[in-house]
Order: sequence, then structure tokens, then C-alpha cells
Amino acid sequence: MTDSADSDEALIGRYARGDAAAFERLYRRHEMRIWRYLERHVGNRATADELMQEVWIAVARDAERYAPTARFTTWLFTIAHNRMIDAMRAKREHLSLEKEQLISDPASGPLAAAVARDQRAALSQAIEQLPSEQRDAFLLQIEGDLSVEQIAAITRSSFETTKSRLRYARTKLRELLREYA
Amino acid sequence: MNDVPPSRDPPEDFDEYYRRVSRLDPSRPSESVRRTVLNHAAQLAAERTARRSAAGRTAAGRRRWRPAIFGALAAAALAGLLVTPHFLAPRAPASRPAASPAVPASSPETPAPAPPPRNAAARSLVQTARPLDPGTALRRAAETGDVGALQALLQGQIDLDARDASGRTALMLAIVHGQARAVDALLAHGADPNAADSRGTTPLRAAMAARRPDIVAALQRAEAR
Repeated sequence: MTDSADSDEALIGRYARGDAAAFERLYRRHEMRIWRYLERHVGNRATADELMQEVWIAVARDAERYAPTARFTTWLFTIAHNRMIDAMRAKREHLSLEKEQLISDPASGPLAAAVARDQRAALSQAIEQLPSEQRDAFLLQIEGDLSVEQIAAITRSSFETTKSRLRYARTKLRELLREYA
Repeated sequence: MNDVPPSRDPPEDFDEYYRRVSRLDPSRPSESVRRTVLNHAAQLAAERTARRSAAGRTAAGRRRWRPAIFGALAAAALAGLLVTPHFLAPRAPASRPAASPAVPASSPETPAPAPPPRNAAARSLVQTARPLDPGTALRRAAETGDVGALQALLQGQIDLDARDASGRTALMLAIVHGQARAVDALLAHGADPNAADSRGTTPLRAAMAARRPDIVAALQRAEAR
């Protein structure tokens, strides 16, 4: 955590005191990381847009309650994680059969995308194939730049479980994307 | 999950690949989301600024009026000193009855009306706020570290280990949010230091994961396992 006037923690403090420009800087700084975290989790742009809006509105609403005992990004990704979990729970029942088949069918996995030379689609599909907990841990680490301990606290898991999830996730992704990575 | 971890691969190369592909990814949140969020945030900021300047004006107004009030009181005291001797001089008893007091004493049977809230925002809060159930209020106070509210709730009959939908007690929420003083208050009142959440995470493990040695020590003093 830095003490500079431009740090995340300083910006959220300024916003809590009424400086709207500070919020905009924070938003633009972390917009894409939160977006990719959500979009790669839910695999659906419209839902990711909805969640994105909810996450940042919660940040704006609760800015006065942010206590700089933790990094701003830890707080931000905790909000994003909780919103994502709630949304996944709510929508689990509505997940279409078609989508489930797509996830579980290896023929429509990253190899098919390889043929189309679409690295982005291959990456998205590979991430989609990870079990939810592994995907969450991986995205929190790579997009949130969070430590294993921080991810464990956010996901309410043990250190060892989290470490294991991260290891499994990377191994699986490397395997699925070996023609690219 | 398989208990045997997979072989350890150096993650850096894959992470680099992920970041390279992500940089080329044109996918972005829609412009309407950005607009909605930033407008909402700006509106909240304006409200906060207005609230602060209103509070500042009230304080400044008090400061501005203070000398005038003291001046008026001093002038009144001086006038009193000059005029009072005239009334203290002996004079003939008055023939008319004593005047009734300027302010009649209120009847003991008539209760004094409750003072109205001081401003519109407070009135609105009084009208719209719904009380939380005690368990929720306790958890809210614990996670926000509001020790005053926590102490007030702990004075009454309350289930210290009431849980939310995820099986988290007030103690667990205080730990997760790093509220050491709330943790101390809850433990002092007998909160269960071993009440795990629905995923089996114990308070001690949560404190260790949050890297809070002070909370870990407080839990261990309370015989948490």
C-alpha cells in the first residue's frame, strides 16, 4: 500500500469526501481487470455488464466505510467475488442444457478454437472449462494481483486449498492451451 | 478435489501468455455501464459535498453568532446592574394583584410532545428506516467495527452466535473485516471462538488467512482451536 496522493487508497478516501474525479480515476484504473474477472467467470457479456455496474455502484455507495487496513484491490475484488457468487447461485438453475454441453464437450473446447486461430476464444473457453473454484482463484490472482492468503480470505478457503486450486488451474489451462501458450 | 497436487509448473510463462492475449482482447464493458456508474458516483459525491458544507455552515454559523450572544448577555447584565437598585429601594406595597407568570407551568398530566427531528433528512430517516433484527444488527455492527453499537446490543438479550445465510457469526464477520476491537468485545461477552461457517472455516483459520496475528492471539486466548 502506498501513501502517495495517487494511490488507490488515497483516491477512494478523496471520493468518500466528495471528489467525483477521484472515483473516475479509480474506475478507469481497474475497469478492465474487474471486467475480465467477471466476464471470464460468467462467460456472458450482458451478465458481466450487469455485475460490473452492481460492483462499482457498491464501491461508490460504501466508499465512506472503506477502512484502509486492507489494500483497495482486495476490497474491490471481494465485492466483485461476492456479487459474482450471488449471481452464479441465482442463475445456476437457469443455465441452459446447451451451455452445459458446450462446457463439458471436449470437441468444442480450445482445440476447435485452435482451428479457427482464435486465441482469445480459446483462452475464454479454456477458462470456462475450469471448475468454478479453480477459475475464481486463478482470475482473482491474475486480474486482482492478489496473494494466495488474500484469495484464501476472499473465497473463505484454507491456504493449502487455495494454493492447490491455483496449481490445478494453471496445469489445466496449460494443457488446454498447449498449442498456443 | 484430488488430494495429490499436480506437478508444479512454473506459472510465469502461462501468466505472460494470458496477459498478452488479454491485451489484444477488444471485449470491454458497455459504454452505458460506465456512464451509469460514473453518473451515480458523481451524484453521491455531490450529495456528500452538500452534506459536508451544510454541516460546515452550521458550525460556522454557531461560531459567528457566539460573540453576538455573549455581547448581548453582557449588555443585559450591565443594564441589570444599573436598573436593579431602583427596584430594590423601599417603596409602598402595591395594591394590585401580582401578575401571572409570563410562561405558565405545564400541567403534570400533559406529557411534553416529543421533539421533532431536527431536519428533513432526519425526519425522513425516522419515517423510512426499518429496524434490523438483533442478530443482523449485531453482525452489521461487528463487520463495520461499530463498537458502540455492538456494546449497546450486547447489553440486551441477544444470541451472540446467530448466523447469516453463509453460516457466519458476528465474530466471524468481525474477523473477516479485520475489526479487532469488535472481535475483542464479542469474545469478552462469550461469543463462541470455534463457531465455523457453513464451509467449515473456523474463526482461527479465517484470522490466519487474513494474516491478523493480533486477532489470532485474541482467539487463542479465548481457547479457539
